[in-house]
Amino acid sequence: MSGTDGKGGEVTSTEPALRMEGVRKTYQVGDEEVVALDHADLTVASDEIVALVGPSGSGKTTLCSIAGALLSPTAGKVVVGGRDITEFSARELTEFRRTSVGFVFQSVNLVPFLTARENLLVVDELGGRKGDAKAARARADQLLEELGLSDRAGNLPGQLSGGQRQRVAIGRALMNDPGLVLFDEPTSALDSHLGEQVVRLIRDEMKRRGTAAIIVTHDQRITGYADRTVEIEDGVVEG
Amino acid sequence: MFLALTEMRRAWGRFVLLAGSVALLVFLILFQQALQDALVTAFIGAVRNQDAPVIVYSVDAQRTLQASQLDRQQIDGIRGVRGVGATARVVQGTSTVRIGNGDLTDAAIIGTDDSSLFVPLELSGGRRPSAHGEAVGSDVDFEVGDRVEVIPAPGGEATSLRVVGVAPEIQLNVTPTLFTDDVTAAAARRAVNPGAPGDLTNALAVQPEKGVEAASLTGRIQDAVPDVEALTREDAATRAPGVDQVQQSFRVIFLLYALVVPLVTGLFFLILTLQKSRSLTLLRAVGARPAVLVRSLLLQVVAVLVIGIAVGLALFLPVSSLRVGSLPLRFDGTVVVVWATALIVLGLLSALVSLRRVLRIDPIEATTGGGGL
Amino acid sequence: MRLALRELRRRPGRFVAATAILALIAVLLMFLGGLLDGLLDSSTGAYRAQQADVVAYSTSARRSLPRSRIPEDLRALAAKAEGVTAVGGLGTLQVAARPSDEPQTRDLISTVLIGYELAPRGLPSEPPPLGSVIADSSITADGVREGDTLLLGAGRVPVKIVGLVDDTRYAGQASLWGSLETWRTVTQQLRPGQAAPDAVQALVIRADGSPERAASRVEEATDGALEALTLDEAIDAIPGVSQQRSTFNQIIGVTVLVALVVVALFFALVTVERISLYGVLKAVGASSGTLFAGVVVQAVVVTAVAAAIGAGLAALLDVAIPPGSIPFALSASRLVLSAALLLVASVVGCAFSLRRVLRVDPAAAIGA
Repeated sequence: MSGTDGKGGEVTSTEPALRMEGVRKTYQVGDEEVVALDHADLTVASDEIVALVGPSGSGKTTLCSIAGALLSPTAGKVVVGGRDITEFSARELTEFRRTSVGFVFQSVNLVPFLTARENLLVVDELGGRKGDAKAARARADQLLEELGLSDRAGNLPGQLSGGQRQRVAIGRALMNDPGLVLFDEPTSALDSHLGEQVVRLIRDEMKRRGTAAIIVTHDQRITGYADRTVEIEDGVVEG
Repeated sequence: MFLALTEMRRAWGRFVLLAGSVALLVFLILFQQALQDALVTAFIGAVRNQDAPVIVYSVDAQRTLQASQLDRQQIDGIRGVRGVGATARVVQGTSTVRIGNGDLTDAAIIGTDDSSLFVPLELSGGRRPSAHGEAVGSDVDFEVGDRVEVIPAPGGEATSLRVVGVAPEIQLNVTPTLFTDDVTAAAARRAVNPGAPGDLTNALAVQPEKGVEAASLTGRIQDAVPDVEALTREDAATRAPGVDQVQQSFRVIFLLYALVVPLVTGLFFLILTLQKSRSLTLLRAVGARPAVLVRSLLLQVVAVLVIGIAVGLALFLPVSSLRVGSLPLRFDGTVVVVWATALIVLGLLSALVSLRRVLRIDPIEATTGGGGL
Repeated sequence: MRLALRELRRRPGRFVAATAILALIAVLLMFLGGLLDGLLDSSTGAYRAQQADVVAYSTSARRSLPRSRIPEDLRALAAKAEGVTAVGGLGTLQVAARPSDEPQTRDLISTVLIGYELAPRGLPSEPPPLGSVIADSSITADGVREGDTLLLGAGRVPVKIVGLVDDTRYAGQASLWGSLETWRTVTQQLRPGQAAPDAVQALVIRADGSPERAASRVEEATDGALEALTLDEAIDAIPGVSQQRSTFNQIIGVTVLVALVVVALFFALVTVERISLYGVLKAVGASSGTLFAGVVVQAVVVTAVAAAIGAGLAALLDVAIPPGSIPFALSASRLVLSAALLLVASVVGCAFSLRRVLRVDPAAAIGA
């Protein structure tokens, strides 16, 4: 993926989905400098699933935020899908997220007053409908089918089970055909059986598309489904 | 108490906005109330605050002094009605005058031929007239000692009055008003209208005999004398042209404004309560009694209303001593108290919906979770 | 934008209360405006109907029509002023009228008899003959019809109503338009001291060029004995007009401010509830601008609906208010103005939530 936005393009297997070199993030709090992320070197191949494990306060949230173009680093270099986003302005980051990154959050994921299908389409609509509306809808329906939610397409999140909601969130994350998807504790709210189903689904979807993923997790079962586990401690990660 | 205040302190922005809207509404209500009172007083203060219990106009005048004209026959007829005690001929005209060295302005000059009937009830300064050419003036327009020069029309003779006393709320038709004797008033009228007949009587002020009720006397006078309208002082004031319209219009306005206050307050607290429902459930689960939550809510409601009313009042106070055009506003403490009480009661009533919601909380829901998608 | 509209459609409940309050405020604005318009119309109709550029009074009258007296010689001078194409006299008399079939009634109708020469809009260029008048249509609220005879004043001077004309009230009373001769005759009979055979109270003047220039020329021509005003100035000078206008507009202004605060309040509350949702939306690539635009759209829709409801209620009020009880005139332009004011207040009120929307940090959506 060199130079394109990742919309429906072929994934070249050479360019890594994520390359973080010497990334550091600090905050000024009063007179003190708080180090959220000390030193991160991380490379994720274009179709790799990486599990990110670490205790709370270790900086994994900050790392994900930077990888997901939500934050800019204080130092270091961040290259996502071949594009250097280190110096991107807030607006450029926003645009980048919309076109090239997918998110599945831990708790609030879906817009409560939109149906499952509409939740998938929301990204496209927020972009001001630059693409073809019909194509977007077709894509949404296809994703819903792959995720086994075709008969739930018109339901509101309140009418879906926890597992179904998670699957809708995954569908939403894949809508813009990103090169990288970030999962934040995807199974923490689900029981073990359901959790395993979801993780298997994640793996299948990622592999089917050859999309890279970083899964932040405590859950040992997930590490089994990942290609690689990376540990982060005290703001330092080497991977 | 702690709960209520802490929440208000943390989220002060929204409480400020609510108190702000209440304050603005209270200001508007008080301002318009004062405006209405001032309007009515400025129109008929002279009639309401003079000492004759009964006033008789010609029926064509539609309760306006200046348009009223009673002839000799009518006056004699009124005097002959049983129950009529002392009477006084009332003479009124509007002239262009100069007060002291000031600009030209209008003035209503009211004269009576009995210095104890159809005169202001009380003075706020100076003394009553004791000679021709002396007058009591409306205290918002005149000062004791002012010399009032009547500017004559072509062909008329100039004349002047001296203000020896001032009285509160005695304006007529929103015009500076002077009470004097009939000779002086007639001279002033002749100055601006030289062709007018000299002994014109506009109205007759009547003092009922001892033991006779004013209200019943008016009916008797009307029956006995053709083409006159006899009114009690209060009726003459409230049924003067324009007054009724003003009061009706303002009634609708007040109703609407008074509705907005409890609606905004009630809505605000309802939304707040709904947003807080998880915290409230938690509090109940850890042992807070419903009464505590209810008290907390009511405390906030009262606090917001009281602050809003106080700020609205503070906004209104400096305005209340101003004039709107030529209308002097007046601060009436009773009115403020009545409105403040009414708004607090309405506001508390509006909070009932939120109260019900609070009372319906079941602490068991803290454990079952729910919410969060 | 679609998102915002969809929320409105899917969850109308949370917006209902704000709509209700704004509708109430809309009714307030429209009622106040209608009251003002009614008062003004009722005071100024006779003047607004004039098809002229300048109105002149005697200077000593200080712009008071009843006090003004303009004799024939002054009128001649005014007529000779440069640019003046026509001059007509105007005379008024406030009288109470009785229907001719109830000569002894105590229920009198307040009217103002106006003698004219230069016809105002809606009136014939030749005034009705002696003893006949054309009445302002508002008099029908008192049960008077075309063809009826009215008895004016204590002397019960009869005048016959030969026609009706709209929107020509003066000083809050229905006008009776007749010839100057009719006016003089009636005045002579009812108020002998006030009658003047050759004088009129005011001059209505048509002139070429700008009205302001014509007015000063008339004043010059009469050496300052006449005070000439443009028609608009004369309307403003009618007792009570400018005061009513400024007082009411101030009250309306503060009420609009109340609407602004209410909208600010409501959307502040609603925005707080949506913080986490905004976080997610920003994370998937929504800009602050898009989200804020959504807030504005909702405010506009809610306000538009409220204004429509308010207008409906105001129209109902208009019908419910019996004609003649309070002066109330609801016009389409007043409704539109009130709605526009409300919309502006609404959009500005939203701005209070802008900061909070801007401040939502999408990174906070992770690990939330």
